[in-house]
Amino acid sequence: MAGAVLENVTKTFGETVAVENLSLAVGRKEFLVLLGPTGAGKTTTLRLLAGLEQPDSGKVHIAGEDVTAQPPAARDVAFVFQQYSLYPHYTVFENLAFPLRAPGRRLNADSIRRRVGEISEMLRIGHKLNDRVTQLSGGEMQRVSIGRALVRKPKLFLMDEPLSSLDAKLREDLRVELKRIQRDLEATIVYVTHDQLEAMTLADTIGILQEGRLVQADSPRIAYERPATIYAAQRLGSPQINLIEAGRLGLAGGPPAAATAGIRPEDLTVGAEIGAEAKIIAVEHRGDEAVALIEADGLRLHALLDAGVSMEPGSRTRVAVRAESAIWFDSGERLVGAGAPG
Amino acid sequence: MAGSTRSATNRAAAAATRFSAKLRGVSDASIAWIFIAPTILLLLAINIFPLLWTIYLSFTNFRANQPGRPVRWIGTRNYERLLGSEDIWGYLQATAHFVIWTMILQIALGFGLALLINRNFRGASFWTTIILIPMMLSPAVVGTFWTYIYQPQTGIFSYIIDFFAGTGALDMIGSVTLAPWSIIIVDTWMWTPYIMLLCLAGLRSIPDYLYEAAEIDRANALQKFWYITLPRVLPFLMLAVLFRGIENFKMFDLVVELTSGGPGSTTELASINLKREAFEKWRTGYSSAFAIILFVTIFGLGNIYVKVLNKVKS
Repeated sequence: MAGAVLENVTKTFGETVAVENLSLAVGRKEFLVLLGPTGAGKTTTLRLLAGLEQPDSGKVHIAGEDVTAQPPAARDVAFVFQQYSLYPHYTVFENLAFPLRAPGRRLNADSIRRRVGEISEMLRIGHKLNDRVTQLSGGEMQRVSIGRALVRKPKLFLMDEPLSSLDAKLREDLRVELKRIQRDLEATIVYVTHDQLEAMTLADTIGILQEGRLVQADSPRIAYERPATIYAAQRLGSPQINLIEAGRLGLAGGPPAAATAGIRPEDLTVGAEIGAEAKIIAVEHRGDEAVALIEADGLRLHALLDAGVSMEPGSRTRVAVRAESAIWFDSGERLVGAGAPG
Repeated sequence: MAGSTRSATNRAAAAATRFSAKLRGVSDASIAWIFIAPTILLLLAINIFPLLWTIYLSFTNFRANQPGRPVRWIGTRNYERLLGSEDIWGYLQATAHFVIWTMILQIALGFGLALLINRNFRGASFWTTIILIPMMLSPAVVGTFWTYIYQPQTGIFSYIIDFFAGTGALDMIGSVTLAPWSIIIVDTWMWTPYIMLLCLAGLRSIPDYLYEAAEIDRANALQKFWYITLPRVLPFLMLAVLFRGIENFKMFDLVVELTSGGPGSTTELASINLKREAFEKWRTGYSSAFAIILFVTIFGLGNIYVKVLNKVKS
């Protein structure tokens, strides 16, 4: 049974089409990550699932039930906002207990305390229960926000860039914890982000959105190896995929319709004995690896280097293209083939 | 073009260098003093000096209408007389009654109106403007035309109350029981918009996602109000009460126009009595002492209030 389904949903705000004829399914216990730049319709999609927005047309199903006409409270979903949506004048405990005290869900004081205790331990804020939320750090506040969603065991979790306001270290920690918690609770999650690393690491399925339309929904591995369009290919991978016209730099032998080859930076070998002449323009060291911006055959390309390889900007070298790893797109920017020819 | 811009920049930089060369001998601290000196002098002349002079006068038998009379130091006798006087406590009681009731009514009505206006119905901004009009009128004008409205035989107020409640002609200003309420009603009519405006600022500062989160948590309207709206608006509301409370403690103009302190002395607020003592009876030393007592009271209450306010804010 599906966790949640959007069926041909369209939502416009005045002149702007936020979501256009979007169909999307997330299975039970599945972690779906919606990826796309600002304005792609990610947040609107989430708000449509939550019932915070009403679709102009189309249907919303949660756990097999048509909830299109239902208000947010009736849908049994939890929503984690980008900003900490906490009640600032209350303690961590009060904030976590709030959803459990809502009308129609009245639990007794004991089970509330037990449930809040479990969740706060899971999120490692158990020692902060009596603190006011305004005394917490950003990371702790966002844990409480996530905790407020988790206490309820809803049918569907919706998370709108919950980690984007945190610093890099915390983001990484919470990312790992979130994945663990999702497995432990067997939760169904729809998660919105513009961070491709979050998408790759968290998702069972990545949904790539472009201007309100779903371009591709696949596992991270397939989305990375067989992107449906050039746009999808550009969303995953850092640095971005190199786009090279078919026929240049020895890139021949693609499918008949192939017009453009996409080469991931790791599929370029800089400093090779053979290959096209190239000039190093800049090198960016990242610790375990380095990214080189090179120019070859009049094209600017990104290549991944081992940390050991030392390259001076301005120096001349050769670059070899692993043509068998090329991802081929036709003139309409759609995928026509990937990996080994054939 | 770029060249001329650059030369203009250069010229400005050169001028700045010349100016700073002139100031080179002057320390930063001196420059700071030069900047704040005009304000400090002004403050000394029109605030601090009069205050100190009033304190001095409050210990004397000075009368401003007899400047030739020798001024005699009488110690704390003015204060003793003031604090022992039944009448003074009566005036202070009238003032407290006025301040407390105007605040209660204005908070309730102002907050309520702000909640309504914040619903952003069609024409909300038009109604906001209409509601704000009383606040923009001069108190003297308001006082004068409310005396017409309150007029027992021809005034609309008495007519309306009589129409709905059958009370007969109501003499709001002339009656001992009704007169204190007549000034409370007018002040509330005039200043509720002010409280509404500040509450509205508080309401507008609450981000939508807090309500959305509560919505998803199945909070009901009362919980949303109690957990989100009230805590967020409270600092604004308390600030409004601070401003209005101090103003009403000193209330003078509106009440003089409406009741002139009568009937008898039922609406004789502290500042009205103060003006009588100072400029009708010319007991300058005595009224100075009263002014100091009022000052200390407002100052003390204000300080306690600000402490509470800061606690609420954090």
